[in-house]
Amino acid sequence: MNNNRLILIGLLIPAILMIPFSIVSFYTDFANRNPDPLSVTVDFGQNAYNAVEGKKAFEQYQCTGCHTIVGNGAYFAPDMTTVYKRIGENDAALSNFVLSGAPAKGMPPMRDRGMKEDDAYRITAFLKYTNMLDTNGWPGAGSWERDGNPDSTPAQNLDFSDIWQVVAGIVFINILIFAILFAYENKKNDEGA
Amino acid sequence: MTRGLETMSEYPSKIKTRKYFIAAILLFIVQMLLGLVMSVNFLARDSSTNLPLTFDILKALHLNLMVLWLLLGFIGGLYYLLPVETGRDIKHPRLIDMQFWFLLLIGIGIIISEIFFTGRNWWLVEGREYLEAGRVWDLLLTAGLLSVVYNVIATILESKNKLSSPILVLAAGAIGSILMYVPGEIWFDSIVAAEYFRWWVVHYWVEASFELIAAGVIALILLAMTQVRREIIEKYLAIEVALILLTGIIGQGHHYYWIGTPGVWIFLGGLFSALQPVPLFLMVWSAYKDLKENKKPILNKVVLYMIIGATIGNFVGAGLWGFLHTLPQINFFTHGTQITSSHAHFATPGTYLLLVIGIAYLAIPEISGKLNFSQYRGKIGFWLLVIGFLNMIIALMIAGVIQVYQQRVEGLGFMSVQNTLLPYFGWRLIGGLIAFAGGLLIAYDLILISTIKVKVERNNINKEI
Ligand code: HEM
Ligand SMILES: [Fe+2]
Repeated sequence: MNNNRLILIGLLIPAILMIPFSIVSFYTDFANRNPDPLSVTVDFGQNAYNAVEGKKAFEQYQCTGCHTIVGNGAYFAPDMTTVYKRIGENDAALSNFVLSGAPAKGMPPMRDRGMKEDDAYRITAFLKYTNMLDTNGWPGAGSWERDGNPDSTPAQNLDFSDIWQVVAGIVFINILIFAILFAYENKKNDEGA
Repeated sequence: MTRGLETMSEYPSKIKTRKYFIAAILLFIVQMLLGLVMSVNFLARDSSTNLPLTFDILKALHLNLMVLWLLLGFIGGLYYLLPVETGRDIKHPRLIDMQFWFLLLIGIGIIISEIFFTGRNWWLVEGREYLEAGRVWDLLLTAGLLSVVYNVIATILESKNKLSSPILVLAAGAIGSILMYVPGEIWFDSIVAAEYFRWWVVHYWVEASFELIAAGVIALILLAMTQVRREIIEKYLAIEVALILLTGIIGQGHHYYWIGTPGVWIFLGGLFSALQPVPLFLMVWSAYKDLKENKKPILNKVVLYMIIGATIGNFVGAGLWGFLHTLPQINFFTHGTQITSSHAHFATPGTYLLLVIGIAYLAIPEISGKLNFSQYRGKIGFWLLVIGFLNMIIALMIAGVIQVYQQRVEGLGFMSVQNTLLPYFGWRLIGGLIAFAGGLLIAYDLILISTIKVKVERNNINKEI
């Protein structure tokens, strides 16, 4: 077959199939599968804050620079999809935690970024919404249920006295890598000679 | 040496691409530096909040600077390879310079925004993974890339030669990169829809558009360096590209298992993405066959190292390391753990870093008239990168397996698992330091090659013309 025609077929068949797949994905998201983020709200005092404003704040403060949401983001800090459940659906506790952070574990107080109470409340609404998503069961029942308090485990620093397994691993793997390297470079020299 | 100078005088705009490669490799150095600081953050978490830049800002710049230098490297490569293949010089040589400074300015803007405006202005910092740069920068970047595509297409259209497959593939890759950037910029209230399209940028870049650019560039380099028949190289290229698209476009589904999209993706994504390694294997195999058949001695060994490295890195890092966690039954446990990180640090540098360095080592010696440059630094740099990244990849893999077991199976809390992983994060830092040394050596080497004796050669060219 003509080369360019082959490429065109490879492109067009799946690209056209993506159209109905995308429509199905969006239809289910909006119609029945997941809640409408505009209608998910939390109340603080007189005001109601919704998950759409919350999503924008969540992006603006770059939460996924450390955390993941639906498993996507950075792996420095825990996943946020179901944190609302883990913290016992406690709006006040969650927004307080966001504002004051956990400096010893690496989370800066979001107040230092100029966050006001309003944005913390909005983010709380957003996390309430993500907890309601139908994620096909992810992250799984075994994953780290908790009692409604922030994680109380303190962060440790690397302790150099107890890492002999890792040192052994490093030595072993690197001997392997160097063996491959030398085999490659020597074989070439033989051929060259 | 003479051959280089001949094409230089035929296609004078080639010399303008040098700054693209130098900037790319220097930005790569900065990216690694940010990565090293982040690995220290993992080892002593309070360091994140004690240093002037917290983890999220480092991570955002780590990714955004990578995108920038990848684009710079690809654009430089396109401008460098296009003239010989189309038989004419770039249509608007002055755009090459302007685009370079424009992109660099965007890079500086992104850095300043991240450092001073994170959390303070959504237009400047948007904070979504890979798209951290705010809308302002997205729009400018799109405009810049569009002008690159314009220049490329204008050059191709006025070419005397027939449109060849590698050129078609390269142009498709360049256009695809821009098209796929746009959906990621649309605002959606729903996180599901937003993530759906954010993955169009990420996945359709690294597993489709960029993959086309890689396949096209490798084909052109093989054409330039070997005497394998053009029909053979082009046939393989067409089959590879068709399979990349056939599997990769719907293979997108492997990002749609757990983000709130319907269960049909578990079937579709698993099926198609499991086939994605096939074309990547074909790329290794065809390069191997071409090189075996080739009788012409290849003088520039460093380019050869980088190109072979890129095909193998692509197959093992993207294909095999991707296959490891692409089946939904496995991804349910590994999604969002250090396993993902291990794959990302294998596939991306293994394919695209080596590719960009490879083009740089092809272009810079020719542009600078130093075809007989001393090659040992490039080779040592290559091996340091390989050793460093392999250490990092293996450390992250072990960390990932432990994390999956403790956190996703046993249900231990995040922080206590992180405490267990500390030794492996230490190992990762060691790997990063070795790779950093390799990057420094290569940057030093390329700058050395590109600066020495340039003036003399350039005067000669002018005299000849
Ligand atoms: C050169 C090509 C490739 C590059 C540069 C690449 C790069 C990446 C990167 C950077 C991520 C991490 C995204 C994140 O941090 O959230 C990722 C995720 C992923 N990649 Fe690749 N990849 C490539 C090819 C492949 C292939 C061929 C497969 C399948 C066979 C694959 C399977 C996956 C999967 C399943 C994930 C999602 C992991 C998760 O979050 O659960 N990748 N890839
Ligand atoms: Fe993907």
